[in-house]
Amino acid sequence: MAVAEAAQRIPHPLPAPWWRGKSGAAVLVVVAMLIAFLGWRNQGHWPAALTWNSVGPHLDRFQTWLSDNRNVPDPNLAFRAFNGLANFLDHLVAWSTRFFHWLTWAGTVVLGTLLVLRFGGRRAALGVLAAFASFAALGLWEESVETFSLMLAAVSLSLLVGVPLGVLAGRSSRFNRAVTPVLDAMQIIPAFAYLMPVVILFSVGPGAAVVTTMIYAVPPAIRITALGIRGVHPNTVEAATALGSTRWQVLTKVQLPLARRMLLLSVNQTILFALSMVVIAGLIGGQGLGDSVTNGLYTDPAMAIFAGAAIVIMAISLDRATEAMANRTDPAHRHLTADRSRQLRTYTAACAAAVGLTVVLGHVLNAGADWSRWTAQDWLRQYVQRGLDYVQNPSTFLFRDLTNPTGNFIVQHGIQPLRSFFIETPWPVTLIGLVLIAFLLSGLRPALIALVMLFVVGFVGEWTNAMDTFSQVLVATVLTVIVGFVLGVWAAENRYVSRALRPINDVLQTLPQLVYIIPFIYLMPVSGVPGIVASVLYAAPVMIRLVQRGIEGVSPETVEAATAYGATRLQVLLKVKIPLARDAIMLGVNQAIIMVLAVVVIGGLVGSGALGYEVAQGLQRNAFGLGVVASIAILALGITLDRVTQGRVRARTQA
Amino acid sequence: MASSNGNGRTPLIRAEGIWKIFGRNANKVIGTPDVDLSRAELREKTGCVAAVRDVSFDVYPGEVFVVMGLSGSGKSTLVRTLIRLIEPTAGRVEIDGRDVTAASRDQLLQMRRHTSSMVFQHFGLLAHRTVLDNVAFGLEVQGVAKSERHARAQEVLRLVGLEDAAGQFPDELSGGMQQRVGLARAFAVDPKVMLDAEPFSALDPLIRRDMQDEVIRLQHETGKTMVFITHDLPEALRLGDQIAIMRDGRVVQLGTPEELVGSPADDYVANFVRDIPRSHVLTLRWIMRDAKPGEEDGPKLDVATTVKRAVPLISDSERPVCAVDGGKIVGVVDKQAVLAAIAGEGD
Repeated sequence: MAVAEAAQRIPHPLPAPWWRGKSGAAVLVVVAMLIAFLGWRNQGHWPAALTWNSVGPHLDRFQTWLSDNRNVPDPNLAFRAFNGLANFLDHLVAWSTRFFHWLTWAGTVVLGTLLVLRFGGRRAALGVLAAFASFAALGLWEESVETFSLMLAAVSLSLLVGVPLGVLAGRSSRFNRAVTPVLDAMQIIPAFAYLMPVVILFSVGPGAAVVTTMIYAVPPAIRITALGIRGVHPNTVEAATALGSTRWQVLTKVQLPLARRMLLLSVNQTILFALSMVVIAGLIGGQGLGDSVTNGLYTDPAMAIFAGAAIVIMAISLDRATEAMANRTDPAHRHLTADRSRQLRTYTAACAAAVGLTVVLGHVLNAGADWSRWTAQDWLRQYVQRGLDYVQNPSTFLFRDLTNPTGNFIVQHGIQPLRSFFIETPWPVTLIGLVLIAFLLSGLRPALIALVMLFVVGFVGEWTNAMDTFSQVLVATVLTVIVGFVLGVWAAENRYVSRALRPINDVLQTLPQLVYIIPFIYLMPVSGVPGIVASVLYAAPVMIRLVQRGIEGVSPETVEAATAYGATRLQVLLKVKIPLARDAIMLGVNQAIIMVLAVVVIGGLVGSGALGYEVAQGLQRNAFGLGVVASIAILALGITLDRVTQGRVRARTQA
Repeated sequence: MASSNGNGRTPLIRAEGIWKIFGRNANKVIGTPDVDLSRAELREKTGCVAAVRDVSFDVYPGEVFVVMGLSGSGKSTLVRTLIRLIEPTAGRVEIDGRDVTAASRDQLLQMRRHTSSMVFQHFGLLAHRTVLDNVAFGLEVQGVAKSERHARAQEVLRLVGLEDAAGQFPDELSGGMQQRVGLARAFAVDPKVMLDAEPFSALDPLIRRDMQDEVIRLQHETGKTMVFITHDLPEALRLGDQIAIMRDGRVVQLGTPEELVGSPADDYVANFVRDIPRSHVLTLRWIMRDAKPGEEDGPKLDVATTVKRAVPLISDSERPVCAVDGGKIVGVVDKQAVLAAIAGEGD
């Protein structure tokens, strides 16, 4: 009786059917947009009255003014300081290259291998040795040294900036709160979008390449360092404080040694991020492998593939080497006794002596700075060329029945219809529709941001291109989410799948963005398809990981309870695990969409057109204004996509 | 255990009216009527949490002062305010005659280095250093030379029975052994005051007992003054000369173990001590009555003897036993009184 009364007192609304909720409203919006598309097709292009056409010319004038003032015989102080910085950056790379030349190739090999052997162990050292051998065999020794020097300069500067800031962020919550949104922003922006502004400021050359790389590589350095400092148990810090340590003593005797493994992992991440930019840096005067890739894309495909392979090899061997060094030298787990550390000192001295001896021998025997003896380049070229000919021959099975139809399918049933839908629907309908969907998905704030950003896109005159890029991003994101979701769930449910996927994911996550595109330029040479396939490959590992982690993270008691009530495995998955993993999955979508955007715009280099193409044109034809305008549109698109997908997670966690 | 009677001596630690309020505008709460609100009401009204509310106590040299309370009672915050690991919102702390609350950064550092040392619940050992270097850490931050601090650390390790583990690393030791290292680190700087922040709460019961014995032994051997935080009443009763029981940031009762067990200040304390065997804690002082004429020639026992220890003598004796304090008979205890004390247990 009491129960019945209680039930009456508490109002119990039935859950509304889906079409009366937000999803239903979103469907209505899409239907309305479709009606507008069919009824008023091509009747509402972004009006010239709402476009500010002179952004580009203004920027061009600014660039001319800048270079005029910088190159006068006696520039004023600000320009002199700026020139000094630019020169220093250029020289830094040159010094590093010269150092490796001075070592001779033999000295470089011995230094690299013994350094990793001493601190990272035998396996990692073998990997490094193999990497050296393959640079020589590919005939890309000099290019590899140049790329490595560029990376070394960028990484040291990034760490010089990132580690102290990371320590600050780790020790001060206030600083951490202040710096987090800046880092978020730096990581949302696709690398392609800040190439242009950097080139305007630093003009084409290694200096610009170093700066671009730093913008990309500093955020992870700060974040991981801060994480490491924060990860030191507060108890330990408190104990040291209670014994009368100064703040400096706490930092040097407690926090830094205990965070050392994380600090070295931040070096590892900084290196990978830097290497990933090095290829793109080839576009703006970074020499070496990046240059070979970007030039080879148009003129010498085999060379682009070789250079891409060399970058991959460098990335994997550096990743393994630095990770091994981080783990093996962790003072919290190494347990170094006095005897052992004396042994290790001797070992270090022996290694240094061996390097010295090799350098001397190298000079005496005239080994030379560059490996110029035997290479396997010509021999490999035959095979690569034969492979390229095969995949591009219209009569083969691969081309006729597999790659070509897939590419065409993506274009005809994905990109094309979406593109014409977004471009040809009258612009106010598209704009309002997208903002409404943003509102329904994640709330008022993201919707307002979307409104402002989309308006900016139109205002600078990039509406059509942005809608084109947007449709490519949508297609690629849908593919990524499907692939990532299916494989992620499968990996969470089956440990064989998980074990098989792990090494593939590891490798895919260490590769630079542009490298993904290279094979598909030749495999699926259909307009935007290489960019889309590459972005799926680039973003899917993260999606897979997040989905897998989300599903594996569902508490075992909950699963056990469902099983105890007789749920089948499929029911447990559909009714318990996937709903509970929803936040992780949505986070995956957010990450995926940002990563997809970054690669899709790079695809502009190889036929994806749209915003990326304008940036590429800006770089290659010195049309700075045009490039910057496209960069602004990319940035606006990136912010919109990030806010709208993140708002969804936030709305849910607050509910 | 050392004398619980500090009369006539100056306290080594003197805490007066300590407040710790967490939250924005915490400073503005004190001095307003809001301080008298309960914790929940204060939180509702101002968003602040009062962790420690107006706590005062004195600790005399050689004494073990125990602060006991359940989690959230403010005891851990209290001990941290003593050396300003957490800044008190109001109040005054004096250690060894010096005002801690008014000390400059440098003075505070010197005080932490030379006057106090602390033992922590989760040990707070440095995972990247050997046991020896962990124990020597306090001396290291003082700037003591390596050979000297290592010699001292060896000496202290011998004191806690870990001389063989000097070259090992913390994660190679059991929890109990790690806390011995923590104790050794605290003893190594030869502090005047040792602060123990729930040092044994993370240990298994059996090891905990061993460690309590160890602390009692070390305290006897070195005569250190201690402030000991615990949530475990038997531990408090075993170690404490004085015990302060905290609840919701306030001290609800401060007294000797027998005062707590014998006359709890309120229902909260009474509930706490209900399951404690009274005969183990109460002394003859607690159950004696005035001697009637002719009873002064019975067998004599010190007035500080616990009831449990007095039972054999009293039950064998035909006459009431005389309780003696400093050679003077202060009262007598008969069989009925002992039986009443034992029968009262568990009520």
